[in-house]
Amino acid sequence: MPTSLQNLTVNFDERFDLKNIDWRLESGQHWLISGPNGAGKSALAAVLTGAGKVASGEISGLPQHVGWVSFEAQAELIAAELKKDDADIMDVISEGTPVREILAQESRDLVLIDELVAKFELGYLLDRAFRKLSTGETRKVMLIRALSNQPDLLVLDEPFEGLDVKTHAMLHDYLSALSPNVQIVMVLNRLDECPDFVTDVAYVEQGKLLHQVKRTDQAALAELHQLLHLKTTDLEIPPTDPTAENKLPPLDPAQPLVRLTGAAIKYDDTVIFEGLDWTIEPGEHWQLSGPNGSGKTGLLSLITGDHPQCYVNDIFVFGFQRGSGESIWQIKQYIGYVSTALQWEHRVSVSVRNVIISGFYDSIGLYHKPSETEKAIAVQWLDLLGMTARADEPFNKLSYGDQRLLLIARAMVKHPPLLILDEPCLGLDEMNRQLVLALIEKICASSGTAVLYVNHHPHDHIKGIEHFLSL
Amino acid sequence: MSQNYFNTLSLREQLAELKKCRFMHMSEFSDGVAALKGKKMVVIGCGAQGLNQGLNLRDSGLDVSYTLRAAAIEEKRQSWKNATENGFTVGTYEELIPTADVVLNLTPDKQHTHVVNTVMPLMKQGACLSYSHGFNIVEEGMQVRDDLTVIMVAPKCPGSEVRAEYVRGFGVPTLIAVHEDNDPKGEGLALAKAYAVGTGGHKAGVLMSSFIAEVKSDLMGEQTILCGMLQTGSLLCFDKMIAEGVDAGYASKLIQYGWETVTEALKYGGVTNMMDRLSNPAKIRAFDLAEEMKAIMRPLYHKHQDDIMTGHFSKTMMADWANDDKNLLGWRADTAETAFEKTPAGDMEISEQEYFDNGILMVAMVKAGVELAFETMTDAGIIADSAYYESLHETPLIANTIARKKLYEMNATISDTAEYGCYLYNHACVPLLGDFMTGIKSDVIGRGLDVEDMGVDNSRLIEVNAAIRSHPVEAIGAELRGYMSDMKKIV
Ligand SMILES: NC(=O)c1ccc[n+]([C@@H]2O[C@H](COP(=O)([O-])OP(=O)(O)OC[C@H]3O[C@@H](n4cnc5c(N)ncnc54)[C@H](OP(=O)(O)O)[C@@H]3O)[C@@H](O)[C@H]2O)c1
Repeated sequence: MPTSLQNLTVNFDERFDLKNIDWRLESGQHWLISGPNGAGKSALAAVLTGAGKVASGEISGLPQHVGWVSFEAQAELIAAELKKDDADIMDVISEGTPVREILAQESRDLVLIDELVAKFELGYLLDRAFRKLSTGETRKVMLIRALSNQPDLLVLDEPFEGLDVKTHAMLHDYLSALSPNVQIVMVLNRLDECPDFVTDVAYVEQGKLLHQVKRTDQAALAELHQLLHLKTTDLEIPPTDPTAENKLPPLDPAQPLVRLTGAAIKYDDTVIFEGLDWTIEPGEHWQLSGPNGSGKTGLLSLITGDHPQCYVNDIFVFGFQRGSGESIWQIKQYIGYVSTALQWEHRVSVSVRNVIISGFYDSIGLYHKPSETEKAIAVQWLDLLGMTARADEPFNKLSYGDQRLLLIARAMVKHPPLLILDEPCLGLDEMNRQLVLALIEKICASSGTAVLYVNHHPHDHIKGIEHFLSL
Repeated sequence: MSQNYFNTLSLREQLAELKKCRFMHMSEFSDGVAALKGKKMVVIGCGAQGLNQGLNLRDSGLDVSYTLRAAAIEEKRQSWKNATENGFTVGTYEELIPTADVVLNLTPDKQHTHVVNTVMPLMKQGACLSYSHGFNIVEEGMQVRDDLTVIMVAPKCPGSEVRAEYVRGFGVPTLIAVHEDNDPKGEGLALAKAYAVGTGGHKAGVLMSSFIAEVKSDLMGEQTILCGMLQTGSLLCFDKMIAEGVDAGYASKLIQYGWETVTEALKYGGVTNMMDRLSNPAKIRAFDLAEEMKAIMRPLYHKHQDDIMTGHFSKTMMADWANDDKNLLGWRADTAETAFEKTPAGDMEISEQEYFDNGILMVAMVKAGVELAFETMTDAGIIADSAYYESLHETPLIANTIARKKLYEMNATISDTAEYGCYLYNHACVPLLGDFMTGIKSDVIGRGLDVEDMGVDNSRLIEVNAAIRSHPVEAIGAELRGYMSDMKKIV
């Protein structure tokens, strides 16, 4: 019978909730639970051992014998041992429970214990007190305890953590051999350590089970990998090119980045909008929303200079009153821009690396010989995106979602005063949407760039945006 | 009746003008658009070139407005809409021409005499008149007021490309020239350079040439390889495939998209690369077919170049202009009635390689046409750079138009002048290749070679490869593409 969690919400002390989990573990499946730190991976694993208080929903089909190895289980056991010490203090000085006894407590097969002790080469400490062991040794004991219990379901939270290389390999082989008979669920921080027998991968974030990916779905797995990378990397937004060639002429900080006065877009007989006043000050994050056809993209292109009617409007951008003899390249140098249309226009054959570098020149395709600094910055961006290995691949061979990430990197590479994201998640599936949002949040948090985020759902927020304009 | 300007020159002057052609270095454009800054640029006509050049110039920070003939404004024609919807000021000749520092004549070539004669009296003393094609000056001998500067800035691409490449942050290869009889202040070159920067042309490469070299090479290229050969080839190959029992939808598709696919290979590595896309036995067949066709067609290419040089071509065409385009319109209608034009492309899949494998004859035609046009132009004294742009370089651009909507689209996109020359070529070339075509079977057009004959003789292959690679169009092509990719490092 499969184990099934239906719309399950579980409370773990005040700290943490798992919310509305729907999850089915079919027999024959082995799961890996992944997610950023603090996401609830361990909690989800622990639910399978009966941990937590079920607030709502249902859990069914849990097998009778569940083996559990985790730092929490380990800590609990040690805490219990220490308590015993306290209790015994009046009497004689306790030596603590010997390992031999700890192992026997839960075991259903004593012969198996001996076998495992030999495998883990722990014979030498069977008579020592459990609480006196090193962390690595304790871990091994915990593993033997769980394995010798002949569980139907084995829940392993970071089982390889703290093991030396040899033991790691041994345990890995042992679990592989065990896997045809015992269902295994393991929490791993690193997807690339995922053992071959794992059939399914779950991704948890903020207490929610967000993605369930079949191991055989290479593409989805790669995206998951990348998402995890973006969520967990310590890398920051790379700096911009400090050399003179790519330095933006400084703006007067007292002036707004953009000021539209009575702006309008009109065709023949239709008025898209008119009488619009809008000022964007340096560093202000804005969200622009409105239904399809309300003129969002048109409004943006008045700012970027892509709309021919920018010459018949009262527009002040980056120190220029439009139509006073400035060129669009003088305007565009201050803007990073991402949209679906821009993605379509990238049909030119250009490498992943050069797409990023082209951001320095505001061109679609690269028509300059890139400098060493520019190349180095592109590599830093690729590291951040988890795409280092793909630098020389043609851009148009990438998945749609990866292309979008690159275009955001391209837009940010020069740290523009204004970053315009026109429906940056349009056409993306959930996983890629989260990838893009993860990158945007990183940008909002760590640069002086004003972000102008366009979306037709006004309620679809990004952290850090505090100004709103609705068309 | 006007006097052909070229024919008024001495042979020595003619040769000197034809030879004028120099690839300009990027550093020569370091002044950007400064020479035009603050000057008033007024464009006459808002069609393919007019609108797109104007959009680019304005986005480069220049002051651009449009003047149209009165009827176009009154009737709010497409050209009026083009200009006003894009937020440009539009006015009559009387309103705008007197204010203009530079007048950009971007009306159809056949209107030039009339248009220039109309606006010239309204132009400011010392202003500049610019063209994007030199026909009016060279072939019609237009006499421009002495105080006016006359320049040419001719993008070597359709107007839509001129805009699209600019928006990407690049440009299209452009030819500039100063009409030396009209450069009273010696500022022609500075203005032409600034104009080329304003359209983005300097990023893709600029040839400094002469009105004469531009006209004589432009006419030659468009009539022969660019449009003529593709039209003749389309009709002959289609009819042959039908006669050989190839499915009509397949035949139609193979040709419609085949030109674009095989000539795309030219962009990257010239004729050599296009030929290298064929299997070895197919390459040898294509080579032999091309040699045979070159021998047959050479006199025709010579005739076209001769007629262009003597002015016979322009005289004939201008006679048709005077006759309300009777010939042109009749030939256009005939083209619409051809079997190829009327058979829609089938919906079968044809892989990129299959266009080469089953289109050996088409590859041979492109090779023969490019090489003959190039040889004929350079023999006539036109510099290799210019001959390259007017033959090999533009072939893929024209092939794209056939892929869009067959010959109709090609003839609609190119100028009337090119279209007229294209029909002349076609009428002569179809019968000329008649005997040759009787020997052609579907192995070289429609079905591909039998797999059994895949073996080749080594020494023959070496000979063929060497011959392909040593053609002079390959050397200049490699050099100019090298400049392009220095600037257009996009791989
Ligand atoms: N097409 C190309 O690929 C290409 C490439 C390089 C250079 N050129 C050159 O660029 C120039 C313009 O060609 P194009 O292809 O842009 O032409 P086009 O698209 O046919 O546009 C011509 C414009 O001129 C106007 N016009 C027509 N007759 C006129 C007249 N009698 N008086 C005033 N205006 C008139 C038309 O507007 P109305 O009819 O509404 O008045 C239209 O706006 C030509 O010299 C051509 O050789 C063309």
